[in-house]
Amino acid sequence: MPKLTIDGQAIEVPAGTTILQACLQRGREIPHYCYHEGLSIAGNCRICLIEVEKQPKLVIGCYTPVAEGMVVHTDSDKVKQARAAVMEFLLINHPLDCPICDQAGECRLQEYAVEYGDGTSRYTEPKLALSKAIDIGPHVTLDQERCIQCSRCIRFCDEITKTGELGFFQRGERSQIGIFPGKRLDNPYSGNVVDLCPVGALTLNEFRFKTRVWYLANTATICAGCARGCNVVVGVGKQQTLMTTRGQLDDRVKRIVPRVNEEVNGWWICDEGRLSYEHEQKAPRLEAARVAGKETAYDDAVKAAATKLAAAAKAGALGVIVSPRLVSEDVFAWKSVVSALGGGAFGVRSLLRGEDDTLLIRADKGANAQGAAWILGAGATERAVREAVAQGRVKTLLILGDPTAPSSRPPPGAAPRSSTAGRSPLPPPRAPPSRSRARRGPKPTGRTSTSRDGRSASVAATCRREKRAPAGASRRTSPRLLVLRRPAGRPPRRYSRPSAGRSRSSKGSRSRRWGCSASRRPSRRECRAWTGWESRSRS
Amino acid sequence: MERILTRNVDKENAQHLAVYESVGGYQALRKALSSMTPDALTDEVKKSGLRGRGGAGFSAGLKWSFMPKEVDPKRPHYFLINADESEPGTFKDRLLMEKDPHLVLEGSLLGAFAIRASVIYIYIRGEFVHAARVLDRAIAEAYAKGYAGKNILGSAWSCDVYVHRGAGAYICGEETALMSSLEGDRGYPRLKPPFPAQSGVWGCPTTINNVETVANVPFIVERGADWFLSVGKAPKNTGPKLYCLSGHVKRPGVYEAPMGLPLHELIYELGGGMLHDDRPLKAVIPGGSSVPVLRADECEVDLDFDSLAAKGTMLGSAGLMVMDSSTCMVAAMARIAHFYHHESCGQCTPCREGCGWLERVLQRIEGGRGMPQDLDLLLSVSNNIIGNTICALGDAAAMPAISFVTKFRDEFQHHVDAKACLTGTVALQGVR
Repeated sequence: MPKLTIDGQAIEVPAGTTILQACLQRGREIPHYCYHEGLSIAGNCRICLIEVEKQPKLVIGCYTPVAEGMVVHTDSDKVKQARAAVMEFLLINHPLDCPICDQAGECRLQEYAVEYGDGTSRYTEPKLALSKAIDIGPHVTLDQERCIQCSRCIRFCDEITKTGELGFFQRGERSQIGIFPGKRLDNPYSGNVVDLCPVGALTLNEFRFKTRVWYLANTATICAGCARGCNVVVGVGKQQTLMTTRGQLDDRVKRIVPRVNEEVNGWWICDEGRLSYEHEQKAPRLEAARVAGKETAYDDAVKAAATKLAAAAKAGALGVIVSPRLVSEDVFAWKSVVSALGGGAFGVRSLLRGEDDTLLIRADKGANAQGAAWILGAGATERAVREAVAQGRVKTLLILGDPTAPSSRPPPGAAPRSSTAGRSPLPPPRAPPSRSRARRGPKPTGRTSTSRDGRSASVAATCRREKRAPAGASRRTSPRLLVLRRPAGRPPRRYSRPSAGRSRSSKGSRSRRWGCSASRRPSRRECRAWTGWESRSRS
Repeated sequence: MERILTRNVDKENAQHLAVYESVGGYQALRKALSSMTPDALTDEVKKSGLRGRGGAGFSAGLKWSFMPKEVDPKRPHYFLINADESEPGTFKDRLLMEKDPHLVLEGSLLGAFAIRASVIYIYIRGEFVHAARVLDRAIAEAYAKGYAGKNILGSAWSCDVYVHRGAGAYICGEETALMSSLEGDRGYPRLKPPFPAQSGVWGCPTTINNVETVANVPFIVERGADWFLSVGKAPKNTGPKLYCLSGHVKRPGVYEAPMGLPLHELIYELGGGMLHDDRPLKAVIPGGSSVPVLRADECEVDLDFDSLAAKGTMLGSAGLMVMDSSTCMVAAMARIAHFYHHESCGQCTPCREGCGWLERVLQRIEGGRGMPQDLDLLLSVSNNIIGNTICALGDAAAMPAISFVTKFRDEFQHHVDAKACLTGTVALQGVR
């Protein structure tokens, strides 16, 4: 392992590591635009220029491998001058539209301009005018003026998806990123170019102008869209006490971005997972417990369900179909509950759609199918339960979790299916939820119904996982379980802790006023590490 | 002196194989294939002191010696001929290719033999339509006579030759951009290392030489390295050299002379003197537009790599542009900046943004809209480009800018202060 000195500090890193990687791994910030851990090295932004002793010129940290005895200066006057120069060059033709740019707040150009720029511009000529808001795909909009030509998006489409939709056009300062004629940026991972873009040149149609990023409360979680289990960060537009803007800060999910986990998803997520919150938010949901289609008091509905379940279990005619999207703890809890009642035939639903692709997408849409199979046994299939129903061995069927996620759910952006197969089994909501109601957080919803043919009574308790809440929280408290065990008279526990900031006046701290408590709000550095902007330190 | 490289250019039908063979053509190739090993050939060229004629002046033999000594069958060696002659003021390679294509071809084959290449690509500038046709015809003749193709001249060595026409980009004369372009990609220079000898075109070991460089090789093989050392200024500036003379001289053109020809001799003897007798010499750009300019008082210099380097400039591609006293240096520099602004590939930031900025400031000064801080701004922007780019194009734009502004600062200052040109002393267009 070569030993070298970076800014007076002697370090030892594996051969082949670049100077930039060595610095980032040790928490030393070297500015970089075009460098990305998951992509090839382009070396074109030139902001990571650093000084290596005995080299006549500055070298780029992202491309220069460490060498034995190397002495590196990342903060010398020469380096500072070069960084300021590159910043100035990048900004001379960059439009001053930060106030309306979605990237503002998490823009590398802004950050480095503050940290390394001069603060003033010596450029007096008119800036180049290029095309803005070009529709290049179903999810992505391109602004050529903002582009700094780091080529990350091009490299992503060439190297990761291997679809090659994007390319450079023209030459010199007129060179611009664009889409090849007759093509659309519509590969299943197109949204990643938006995360990759260090500036606001590529924006996600679904997030564009929805909110400012500093209003987002970011929570690390796992995507439940398929068996891949991509690590993601969910950004929720938190309600603001003092905000006058309506609509953008409604406690709803505003975006989902990937969180780095090289062993699962790398730096990427698929568009379907990225936009999965849209489906969850648009889907009709039960506002109250129902028994036989009739709205019923919650306690009564639970009692009705409990009675039916107990009776069915006692008679040995209970079947349970478990969603493969339930977390293992929930599956285990249900198994315990049912066996305590007298046992029943368990089966895990199979959510298969499409095929595995070479990157992330899995045909198995049940995020936890494997976990459920481990708990319930490999023989516990939906088919076996269905057969038992057909043979009359099961007279009462309990369906758990995610009935709105049929295996035939169309991907986001696809035309709605005309067949009834994809239709949600839930009735449409009767009235939109009131604001105060929605704010209280998710409710365990349930439906108890008896089939008209009288052959078998079925109880469908639908407990929809609230996507707004972090996965960690859902594991902490499982509402359906609590409901069943709850001693009579106590109100159901809330899913998430009520935020102190919401009910308080503006006297609260700044972060509280922004609707997220200081303890839950991840630091900027943490967020950046999640999204891959910063390498996590490796030992 | 004896004309060496240009010995055939005046002959009728010089581009035909029969004429070339009549003066001993392809004897060097025959000699090398029959009596020399590739390493011996490389050593001979190294000994001759032949330096690359494309601009950088790197030892050709040394460059060849970087190639692997064994050929991996999965990674064939490639020999590229850089015929993308685009440097403003340079037109020597075109002459060789149009008038004596077999010389270029024989030199290329010798180089390919030395580096154990099995394919030669001659990457020719897109505008050189005629030269490309001439070369194609010459290659067909060479194939027919067994000088190229399978088992050349009965030896075990086979080599194919192709002409690849560029599409009109100056940057494709940069060796790694040329390789990108040859592979079918955008002509973007590549990061180095790896150098071409390790991983060049299609990731294979590659050597790339200028047309004029390889044209010297047959003579080195035929007459020996010692003869080559006797021409020019031994030990480091040897051999014959083609000088491209243009600008305010009576007889512009390509002149062949031993390396180290005094600049005055080129202008006043070979070039016939200044174009107008009443307009004295003001400045000379000695090596194509990308090198620093020489003032008239700096022109007591020999035209070779080291003498010009001592004067703070470069021999480059030996494209000499002579400017007399009527030349507005601001206008000249603005024109040069326009070229580099237009030709910057746009890959890396300093060159992409800086070249346009330089041109705009220069146009402003030229148009009488200059501001007092503009001259320092020009120097600052230029210094911010130099050394910070992927390839040398940024330097090529910034070096002349720095030299023009520092050496002719009074002219630039006059443009800014008086809104007038020292040479014409007329009020400029577009005065605010």
